[in-house]
Amino acid sequence: MTGSILDAARFIGAGLAMIGAAGAGVGIGLSVQGALGGMARNPDAYGNLLTNMILGIAFSEAIAIYCMVIAFLMLFKVV
Amino acid sequence: METEKRRPWRRWVVLGLMIFSCIVGGIFVPVQPVISFSAEKLIEQPLFSLPVIGPFYLVNSIPPLILTVLLVVVLAFFTNRSLQKSAQTDLVPRGIGNLMEAFFELIYNMTEGSTGPKIAPIIFPWFATIMFYALFANLLKLIPGFESIGLLRQVAQGHPAPGGFLQPGEVANGYDLVPFLRGASVDLNFTVALALISVFMTQVIGIQTQGFGYFFKFFNVRNLFKVPFFGAMDFLVGLLEIISEFSKIISFAFRLFGNMFAGIVLVAVIPTMLSAALSRWTGNILPSMLMMFELFVGVIQAFVFGMLTMVFMAQATQGHAQEEAHEEAHEI
Repeated sequence: MTGSILDAARFIGAGLAMIGAAGAGVGIGLSVQGALGGMARNPDAYGNLLTNMILGIAFSEAIAIYCMVIAFLMLFKVV
Repeated sequence: METEKRRPWRRWVVLGLMIFSCIVGGIFVPVQPVISFSAEKLIEQPLFSLPVIGPFYLVNSIPPLILTVLLVVVLAFFTNRSLQKSAQTDLVPRGIGNLMEAFFELIYNMTEGSTGPKIAPIIFPWFATIMFYALFANLLKLIPGFESIGLLRQVAQGHPAPGGFLQPGEVANGYDLVPFLRGASVDLNFTVALALISVFMTQVIGIQTQGFGYFFKFFNVRNLFKVPFFGAMDFLVGLLEIISEFSKIISFAFRLFGNMFAGIVLVAVIPTMLSAALSRWTGNILPSMLMMFELFVGVIQAFVFGMLTMVFMAQATQGHAQEEAHEEAHEI
């Protein structure tokens, strides 16, 4: 086994950064749950709800994407 | 009613191919492709260089990109020919023209449902183009030969070289594989370019539909002197919208790139782990199943990219002025 302790710290840091994705997963699940409930109660609002649901998913997914960007920065020695 | 007995022989072909790939992969152990963040250079010398921007290299995601563009153009040509032929004869679309008409009608109705009939013709071309282009770029990655055929490169901490491909004396530290072809959307340049186009055109469509009133979204000075405290709050929220536009570029680009990159990492890592844990025969049946998952992810991500473009554009066309007009109408 060769390699510096800095490499080990980079890998651990990248793993820790991705913990933030858990929150985004919960957020996406909640927004889809709400939208599906609304669609089941009022099928006419399907199109409108779908648009807003995807918008909400995009915003909560953005958090997970920022986590991933940080993980990539650590993993591939960009900074 | 007499029901015809179905003979689903095609699924047995798929299963046979999976078992065949398992056996062949057990005999000729494949080398693990290099997992790199950026695309690898095929030629070390730059193709040409521009004064300010810098040198341009032929990386291994350029050939699939050219192939994607060619495929889209060829498809457009044949669709156009088919539709013109049907317009001259009996107005019944057939073949590929019919297929594309059904597909585009579906997504046009979706656009119209969330933007209204007046703005839909402005937004729809961007939605459809981005979605179609991203779809082809994502699905081209699944063709056999992508990310698996290439040159072996000697590295310090690589994987053991496969037998049969190299001379026995050459095995030193380890090798990894630099593939000739890499999916176009696994290159961050591609996704950033699409994201920039999408966000820039969102601003253009906003100005086109609302005039310069669109900038009140960012510099909201209308209530600044009427109600001082909340007006200032509105102004600060408007400034946050500028940051939101820039974060859209990042999230657009990294959403597509992250999903596609996760695909190649998954296909490379899971079989390696499985063959290390069990035996080298078992590790080779999984990639075909992971490829099915990749098909799903590619279609979904192309749809999401186009859909989000459409939703942001639809949002940009609806200004605050219209909302206030609605509220006033309600009060009256």
